[in-house]
Amino acid sequence: MFELIGGWLQRPNYIAFVLLFLWGIYIMVTRYNLVKKLIGMYLMQTSVIFFLVTTSAKRGATVPILLSTTEVIQPEVYTNPLPHVLTLTAIVVGVATLGVSLALADAIYKKYGSLDEEEILKRME
Amino acid sequence: MTQHLPVLLFLLPLGLAICLPLIGLKHREWCRFLAIGVVAGMVPVSVANLIGVLQTGTIHYEFGGWAAPVGIEWVADGLASVMTVALSLVALVCIIFLSSVLFPYLGSRIVPFYTLVLLLIASLIGMVFAGDLFNLFVFLEVSALCAYALVGLAGGKALVAGFRYLILGTFGASLYLLGVGYLYAETGTLNMADLAQRLPPLVTSRAIAVGVLFMFIGLGIKMALVPLHGWLPDAYTYAPDRVSPMLASLVTKVALYGWIRIMFWVLGVHAVVYQIPILFLVGVLGALAALIGAFLALSQVEIKRMFAYGGLSHIGLVLVGISLGNQTGFVGGVFYLLNDAVMQAGLFFWAGAIIHLYGVRTIEDLSRLYGGPGWMSVALVVIALSMIGIPPTGGFFGKWYIILGAVEAQNYLAIGAVLIATLLTLAYFMKLFERVFRDRSVQQPPLIREVPLAVRISLGATSVAVIVLGLMSDHIVSFLLKNAVPPGL
Repeated sequence: MFELIGGWLQRPNYIAFVLLFLWGIYIMVTRYNLVKKLIGMYLMQTSVIFFLVTTSAKRGATVPILLSTTEVIQPEVYTNPLPHVLTLTAIVVGVATLGVSLALADAIYKKYGSLDEEEILKRME
Repeated sequence: MTQHLPVLLFLLPLGLAICLPLIGLKHREWCRFLAIGVVAGMVPVSVANLIGVLQTGTIHYEFGGWAAPVGIEWVADGLASVMTVALSLVALVCIIFLSSVLFPYLGSRIVPFYTLVLLLIASLIGMVFAGDLFNLFVFLEVSALCAYALVGLAGGKALVAGFRYLILGTFGASLYLLGVGYLYAETGTLNMADLAQRLPPLVTSRAIAVGVLFMFIGLGIKMALVPLHGWLPDAYTYAPDRVSPMLASLVTKVALYGWIRIMFWVLGVHAVVYQIPILFLVGVLGALAALIGAFLALSQVEIKRMFAYGGLSHIGLVLVGISLGNQTGFVGGVFYLLNDAVMQAGLFFWAGAIIHLYGVRTIEDLSRLYGGPGWMSVALVVIALSMIGIPPTGGFFGKWYIILGAVEAQNYLAIGAVLIATLLTLAYFMKLFERVFRDRSVQQPPLIREVPLAVRISLGATSVAVIVLGLMSDHIVSFLLKNAVPPGL
């Protein structure tokens, strides 16, 4: 048990990811305000992006850019660039989702005059 | 030339979707015809692609010339090509339906509307061809974003339904992405073929098990597998009547296709997670979905909502078919998937048409149809026969092959689930038929309006297609058996 927790503490970045992810879900589930739900959703998406980036982290590694064509490639001195590229795409997807969701929330507010989910459900009757 | 056809198929709707806002500045009325023209153009391209794939074998399209494990590749194999032919045909019928004059005039919103529809079709094509887990995620999200916007277009309750769909859909997409991240961290690759090579020695890893679980829950939300279906009934009921056929027949089915692709082409047939075969889990989930979906459909009063629940039960039936672990069951499941796309489109065409022709939304009001055009009732009966599974319609043969597969696998629970789901389907359609054909309580003169040509074409095409699928089932199934069976099955 002690070893297990000790093992976790060696990877604080993953603990941070799990906390952020669960926190995002918690906000999404418990808040009735639509914009707060969106904040939770975005937090959750960001935590996944954080997870992808943190898998590529390495102590003492550098940016994967070759300075000359003759340089010998040593994979161990570079961080993995692929998760960063994935992250870039995932961020774009997240921003697009946030845009659509804010547009929907705005339309709901204009229609029902409230952002509170219970209030909206009451007025929908 | 042949190897470029998959990309051409994708670029046709995408190109028009990008050009449409510019064209729409000046010629708003062209949108409709251009969109129909381009989607009609996709049909021959997809057929040519299928023929090309049959002649030269699987097409691997490498984007930017980067070879497969590093670069992004599209894989057009037998199953993907068959799916795109079906997708193009159904999309064509759906787009003819949604451009009908029956529906309220959209005004200046017509341009973004068609842009969204075309983007949706393009992203679904991308999902079918994607040979890379992350690429699949991107297209999944593009299609989902278009679907959220299209649902919300109706205003009012649809906005709230669309918002809920968005929250749940994004949750599913995040879980899927997280699962992909786990698999990547463990194997160092995202390419499906490459993953399939590297996974077998790693399946005992807990990271793989959790990653696969996350991916399947994510896709399960997208395809509305029953415990995760919360968004679907509201979204499809309140979505604009012109788009619900397209959403119901294509979006969830393509997510299901993605699930099949990952399960059979990446994990392999014999994948075991924590001593439980994945196929067994899928079978149990499918049987539950088939029964619960049909049971919930039975208790609905709104027509569109009933059909939406019916769709849930059919997704379960497809899963039962593919989970049997033999070729007959798999092919039966895929054949049923094709049928289901057509049947869902047809049912929602019918529901949308009667809402706008007679103002009938609930089953109680259906008696007002008395005296209306008879061929619409005939179309309903034909599609309903297929939903229930009565020969010679496609639905019967789909279920027939699923049951044959279950007999072969000696899985009698699966047979029971399919039969009970069939009985429940029969029951809810009987509820519908009783109102349409026997209820004469409403004596008011029927409100007969001219049925627009687009509705006639789309409803006629789907009901004919259901019968043609049934009559041709022998050829289609033997074709699928030859060309679309996953390795190792």
